[in-house]
Amino acid sequence: MAMNPMEQFEIHRIGPAVHLFGYDVSFTNQSLFMCIVVGAVTLFFAMAVSRTKLVPGRMQSMAEISYEFVANMIRSTAGDDGLAFFPFVFSIFFFVLFSNFLGLIPFAFTVTSQIIVTFALTALVMLTVVLVGFAKHGIGFLKLFVPKAPLLLLILLVPIEIISFLTRLVSLSVRLFANMLAGHTMLAVFAGFVVALGAAGWLAPVAIGPMLMIVFIGALEMLVAFLQAYVFAVLTCIYLNEALHLHGEHH
Amino acid sequence: MAEPTTGTQVPTQGGGAFPPFDTTTFPSQIFWLAITFVVLFAILSRFIGPKLGKTIGERKGRVANDLEAAGRHRSDAEAALAAYQQALAEARARAHAASEENRRQIEAEVEKAKAEAEGEAKAAAARAEAAIAATRAEAARHVTKVAQDAAAAIVTRLIGESVSAEEAETAVRATGA
Repeated sequence: MAMNPMEQFEIHRIGPAVHLFGYDVSFTNQSLFMCIVVGAVTLFFAMAVSRTKLVPGRMQSMAEISYEFVANMIRSTAGDDGLAFFPFVFSIFFFVLFSNFLGLIPFAFTVTSQIIVTFALTALVMLTVVLVGFAKHGIGFLKLFVPKAPLLLLILLVPIEIISFLTRLVSLSVRLFANMLAGHTMLAVFAGFVVALGAAGWLAPVAIGPMLMIVFIGALEMLVAFLQAYVFAVLTCIYLNEALHLHGEHH
Repeated sequence: MAEPTTGTQVPTQGGGAFPPFDTTTFPSQIFWLAITFVVLFAILSRFIGPKLGKTIGERKGRVANDLEAAGRHRSDAEAALAAYQQALAEARARAHAASEENRRQIEAEVEKAKAEAEGEAKAAAARAEAAIAATRAEAARHVTKVAQDAAAAIVTRLIGESVSAEEAETAVRATGA
């Protein structure tokens, strides 16, 4: 019995093979979980807003807290004019948050454990940042790469600024991807130990060790799932703030 | 990066490949991510976001309105209390002034009545004194008359000679009566 902890990240086709412009865009187990994520987020909020009351019930309260949480996050990092991007940040945060959390359910697929998914989301964020920056400041947006420093130093600093800006594409996407990948791999590895030890006759009671580890790592992963979604959304806000206000002009 | 795949190509499964770096799955991942994310964005930005925002805004508005109304009622009540206290103070002052006026009037009346009574008493006293004086004068006259008569009678009896009233009067007056 080969326990491969990487098996959970494998993508396989569900249903017929679909090709578009020569690319394989078949519906996969991952596509299914992206749909589940969207469905779960929609259900969570639809239950809350189906009958809004002045004095909120439990579900409405949770939805409103989520709303205020994201709104405050944007307001504190990007200022009041950052609220124009509320739907964008709200969608990103909840897509990532639900992907992370649903991935913790055993046998579920973790959408955000795929580098291309986190990279695509990051690219979307950076593209938005660049577009907003040029739309708001025109060519003046390029001042973002020119810090206040002596001219001689700028020769050195401007390339560094540009590289650090581009590096965000990697740092933002890899942070989320690596956290999810590592956590889920670890859980699978310890789960493999439990199964292997449990099947090893007189060694079976020792399986309680990795079992406890799974409990601890599971708890830790819940924290990580939330934290990484939060970090992703906060960094999105911070980058948007730069596009809106260039060098920290806001509040 | 993502290479177009032909229809017969099957994504490599398992084996030594590290699944997240399997580029053959990238087009499908990006495609479905785009679809699902756009759907999620549409749902959240069109329906759920505005609805939640409206509900929260309404509640904030309602709370703010209620607070404002409460503040207004409070200031109304305070104004009413101030007006009541002022009216009370005014009424008190008016009552005080009225009673003062009343007192002064009564005192004046008493004073007047007293003065009148005193005048009357004085007049009565004067009248009485006059009467007493008249009576006394009358009495004195009577006494003199009696003395004259007595003197005349005594003289007549002593010397047997009648004395005229004028002589008797002169004689009595000479004694200093």
